[in-house]
Amino acid sequence: MIRTAGAGIRSVGAGLAVVTIAGLGGDAPSGGEREAAGHAPSAIERGEAVLRAAGGCSCHTNLPEEGAAAPALAGGRGLATPFGTFYSTNITPDRETGIGAWSDVDFLRAMTEGLAPDGSNYFPIFPYPAFASMTRRDLLDLKTYLFSLPAVARRNRPPDAWPPFRWRVSVTGWKLLNFRPRPFEADPKRSASWNRGAYLVNGPSHCGECHTPRTLTGGLDRARWLAGSVEGPEGELAPNITPDRRTGIGDWSAVDVAWYLETGIKPDGDDTQGLMAEVIEHGFGKLPATDRRAIAEYLLSLPAVEHEVKAPSGRE
Amino acid sequence: MAPTKFALTVALAIGFAFPARAAEDKVYVKYRQKVMTGVGADMGAISDILKYGLPYTAAIALHANRLGDAAALIPTAFEQKVTAGETDAKPEIWQKPDEFKDKIETLKKAAATLEEAADGADRDDIQVAYKKLGKACGGCHKAFRKPKEESYKKR
Repeated sequence: MIRTAGAGIRSVGAGLAVVTIAGLGGDAPSGGEREAAGHAPSAIERGEAVLRAAGGCSCHTNLPEEGAAAPALAGGRGLATPFGTFYSTNITPDRETGIGAWSDVDFLRAMTEGLAPDGSNYFPIFPYPAFASMTRRDLLDLKTYLFSLPAVARRNRPPDAWPPFRWRVSVTGWKLLNFRPRPFEADPKRSASWNRGAYLVNGPSHCGECHTPRTLTGGLDRARWLAGSVEGPEGELAPNITPDRRTGIGDWSAVDVAWYLETGIKPDGDDTQGLMAEVIEHGFGKLPATDRRAIAEYLLSLPAVEHEVKAPSGRE
Repeated sequence: MAPTKFALTVALAIGFAFPARAAEDKVYVKYRQKVMTGVGADMGAISDILKYGLPYTAAIALHANRLGDAAALIPTAFEQKVTAGETDAKPEIWQKPDEFKDKIETLKKAAATLEEAADGADRDDIQVAYKKLGKACGGCHKAFRKPKEESYKKR
């Protein structure tokens, strides 16, 4: 979905007011399949589904360095960006080093305003601009699920970045320029499935955080929404996932997209590597099939953006 | 012309046509890529049967059988060490031959499991076996194929 930012730069106050509304209101279409299945799922079960929709929160597990021994969701994974390397945080319910001492309000503020309980900014490597559009119920269910998991004691690691990018106070400027949180708004002219896809793609699944190229100030380039980025986290190429036939996924059917999100196998029979493989294994592959179809329906309905994503030459 | 003379002429002609070592390497890479493209084609074909629900369950067993055969071709395809030029093969293939062999064994076993599952005709079993087979591809690619960021294709 291409949302143009409002003209001019809003005051921080106005921005936060919008976030508060995002946290409180909004009723996004939910995963119908789960709820039609007979028993009403518990908050923990619903929260687990939210985590799957978020790609399993894979960035918070340090698989690349620690392999299968990496404690789940205890952070420490280095995410290389043009601004430096940032380390994911411990989101297990350890009271000392994780989020175990957080209140509901703390959690909502972190997810929708990018603010830590002590009021300092989170670096925008944490995709709170996407999570800001999530429903309060999904967010609190996610918290309930995370709090049901084993606590792991592991201290968060400060970023390896040059000033000013390593300073949390600099994020205030970044937010003024780039942070436009708003609650999800369903489009009544579209199907429930399309709206569910729109909610997932732009909210919990935070596709744009990797697949949209960034501007010089590190904001998402709204004119090339989901059109691919050479500067994905961990230095990966994030392909163009708009339906452009030449440079995107215009030659994929909705069935191809849904199957890909389930298995990681592309239409040409090739497999998936990198962070996306983890996101599928721990996240999208375990979503209800209706959600994968919804994502496919939505992605293929987007405007095709011609944008070729190639590794910068000389990177071999 | 006597047969021996003819053979000699042909051999010389080939020798002159492909004198450089680099050209030879290219040919090995081309062969290798054809073998791997064949693997991808069978994987993609099984995908189509499963994701579109085509009534070709028996064909899945044949595709899986071919993948087992293809696995037997992979050691030959990578016998010649060529890492330069238009290839995504990592030098680790020749540095860690035992690990490479293990990955090929994994592929063979996964293909055999899928073949069995396809004979059983239970779609859920087939799908589980198929995903495992996909992981066998991915596990080997992760270790031995350059990621797309470093691919000669540059995309």
